[in-house]
Amino acid sequence: MLPTFTLSELENDALIEIFNIGVGHAAASMSAIVNEAVRMSVPSISFIPRVEAARLLGAGSGDSGPERICGVSQHYDGAFETEAILMFPEDKSLEIVRLMVGEAVPLKELTEMEQEAMCEIGNIMLNSCVGTLANIFQRELHGSLPQYHVGTSDQILSATAAGSQADTVVLMLHIDFLLEKHQIHGYVAFVLAISALHDLKDQINLYIARVMGQA
Amino acid sequence: MNSLRLPLLESVFSAVNLGAIVLDGQRRIALWNCWMTKHSGLAHEQVLGQDFFSVCPELRGGRVEAAIQYALYNNFPSLLSQTLNKAPFALYARDERIQQAVEVTPIAVEGAPRHCLIQVSDVSIAVAREKLLREQAMVLRSQTFADGLTGIANRRHFDVAMEKEHRRAKRGGTPLSLLMIDIDHFKAYNDHYGHQKGDQCLIQVAAALADMLKRPCDLMARYGGEEFAMILPETDVDKALLMAEAIRARAQALAIPHERNTDPSQLVTVSIGIATQKADAPVEMDALIGAADRALYQAKRSGRNLIAAIQPI
Repeated sequence: MLPTFTLSELENDALIEIFNIGVGHAAASMSAIVNEAVRMSVPSISFIPRVEAARLLGAGSGDSGPERICGVSQHYDGAFETEAILMFPEDKSLEIVRLMVGEAVPLKELTEMEQEAMCEIGNIMLNSCVGTLANIFQRELHGSLPQYHVGTSDQILSATAAGSQADTVVLMLHIDFLLEKHQIHGYVAFVLAISALHDLKDQINLYIARVMGQA
Repeated sequence: MNSLRLPLLESVFSAVNLGAIVLDGQRRIALWNCWMTKHSGLAHEQVLGQDFFSVCPELRGGRVEAAIQYALYNNFPSLLSQTLNKAPFALYARDERIQQAVEVTPIAVEGAPRHCLIQVSDVSIAVAREKLLREQAMVLRSQTFADGLTGIANRRHFDVAMEKEHRRAKRGGTPLSLLMIDIDHFKAYNDHYGHQKGDQCLIQVAAALADMLKRPCDLMARYGGEEFAMILPETDVDKALLMAEAIRARAQALAIPHERNTDPSQLVTVSIGIATQKADAPVEMDALIGAADRALYQAKRSGRNLIAAIQPI
């Protein structure tokens, strides 16, 4: 039996709001780097078992085998522990980096320097998302430096998320990234233990209570 | 052994072969290693205890400051890539600014507010290697980017260059001019002199006009049959008009006979449409191309061997 986890509609909306604040900060930082409008939003989130997460990300692969994904991961621990991974299909990661850098490189893979730029983009996104979450929950976390991965979604999830897979759930954020008329869809995955999810739910409710109290 | 530990650690910190700076919770410089001294020209005694941003004022308000804030107050590390942050620290080796990759990491200190470690790596060699790789890839690609007949850039090259220059102008707040150049009554020329002569005429005109471009960022491309396009970055309306007039005169000066031309010279002449995107008023790329097209049409209708300019909106 796969673990399931759900939030109420109100809790779900509150979490989407928190992540939208987070990616809003990230978009502002990126705009400052490229001196151009970068917009980002989180239209939806979902909680899915680890196995299904790999399947969802591999979708659209067709006959040519699983799609290659480009990921940037960071490990966070403290009040709760999670592996956060920003993921794009490989061709989209080329598009994002080259749009951000403003230079066309006729190569089919990210160069070493471009991989580092991708790491910085991931670092900005993940720190903003987790930072906003930590601030709102009034908790402190510690983060690692970003790591770059490329491979199938299954390989990336396995490489980053240590420990048993059976009791982990993935909180999946759908990210819309808009730069210079290019719209790119990606994901941020938070790999969490079931126990952390209940804590997350409690924190969301504390936040909702505070917001309602102030209103 | 324990009494040696601290001085040993300090010596190791000082000796590591990358830039290492430690800031305290008030963003004052607590440690500054030898590599930093060597490449910044600032000695330990000049910087220790000083506010970091009074030592490096150019870093205030940028990504480095944001990363320091994140490390000190959120406990999160940041990475600043060379590609997205062009050499933020004023560090030099052999009179050249060092290409840098920067990491800012929070450091927990017992009994004191959190510190942060800034590590600066020299990635100049990797940057140079990738520049070479990129250039060689561009050379390979340019072979598929040349027009088969005239040897100048083809339409595909124009499309790519136009998009790049349009973005660059918008980002940099610089003007961008586009010239559309068309050989007058070229169909009649072909009919009268034959296609071989027609091809020679195209080659000759293309070579002469492309030769007038002196800056590497300028591009002349074969846009259609007898139509050429010129992308002139950082060129305002006045300069574009001067350039267009010089091109018009140069084409006529080639003195290629053209009996079927309506122009009294009876030589091959060109009409030119100009559109300029102002530095402070960027427009959509399609609007710029459309305006240049309409300007060309206007020049043709007004009698050919002329130039016309239209402001894109």
